[in-house]
Amino acid sequence: MSSNRELTMSSYVGIGVGLMVIVGIEVVLTYQHLEPRTLLFSLLSLACLEAFVAVLYLMHVKYERPILFWTIFPATLFVLTFLCYLWPDAFRMASMRLLK
Amino acid sequence: MLSDQRSDLKGGDVNVTQSAIPSLGQHEVLMEASPYGIEKKKLGMWVFIVSDACTFGAFLFAYGYMRVGNPVWGTPFGVGSVVNGVVMTAVLLSSSFTMLAAVRASQTGAKPSTKKWLGITMLLGTIFAALHLKEWFSLIGEGWRLFYNPTGGAAQFGATFFSVTGLHLTHVVTGVIALAFIARGYNLGRYDESHVETAGLYWHFVDLVWMFVFPLMYLMNAH
Repeated sequence: MSSNRELTMSSYVGIGVGLMVIVGIEVVLTYQHLEPRTLLFSLLSLACLEAFVAVLYLMHVKYERPILFWTIFPATLFVLTFLCYLWPDAFRMASMRLLK
Repeated sequence: MLSDQRSDLKGGDVNVTQSAIPSLGQHEVLMEASPYGIEKKKLGMWVFIVSDACTFGAFLFAYGYMRVGNPVWGTPFGVGSVVNGVVMTAVLLSSSFTMLAAVRASQTGAKPSTKKWLGITMLLGTIFAALHLKEWFSLIGEGWRLFYNPTGGAAQFGATFFSVTGLHLTHVVTGVIALAFIARGYNLGRYDESHVETAGLYWHFVDLVWMFVFPLMYLMNAH
């Protein structure tokens, strides 16, 4: 069983404030009128950062045995990363024009 | 056969007497300890979370593919909806910290405090669900449907938005119900702190998924 003694509740509040700041950055980026693909990757990157913090500190992976991390995350990230093979086709579709 | 194995155990490294074996339970005697150092229910929850992460990942990548590849995608969310989404994010994030407080209270054996924090977590989850449904009804009122775009653009917005957010909302509602069962069982002494911790793991995962759903489904579709 993991221990919650590593962080105090005030540290957790700090993490919460940090996560909300990232959400604020996402909202600001939304209104910068970026191209959809640029906005998508900016938001995805920030969401990954939030998820990383959440997994480590809220889900306590940082305080579990390393074997749990190495069993679960490389395989999951491998699957999710390989879904990225879809993007080039989406970019191609976005730039397609009908020929007359 | 089993009695032979028990006799072997007595003569090996494990010093277990014949009388002690039945009280431990035959499976516990013959199985190794988990290399992960966590309980079975928690490991089971991690396996579920991995499979659910892949499910949400597939949904969100399919949505992203259509969103990026479609130049006439619907963008129905005004500033009001974005503010509503930020409030929903704050509510769900707060519920993660009240869940942490519940887990910590249960580990110290503080029953009233555990019940209080679990109750607040359920309340925040319910508020989140209510805000989510408000957004849904607002969109439906504007004419958006699963396969209909009232602005004349791509019809897939409704299908992707309602399916992804609906799947997440189902997780939130399921989580609130599960927490209610855990709180009741913990109060009656049927469940212990490990049940609260495992439920907390699920709740944090629901929060984690929202960290992707909000920017991709709301912010990407703001005008």
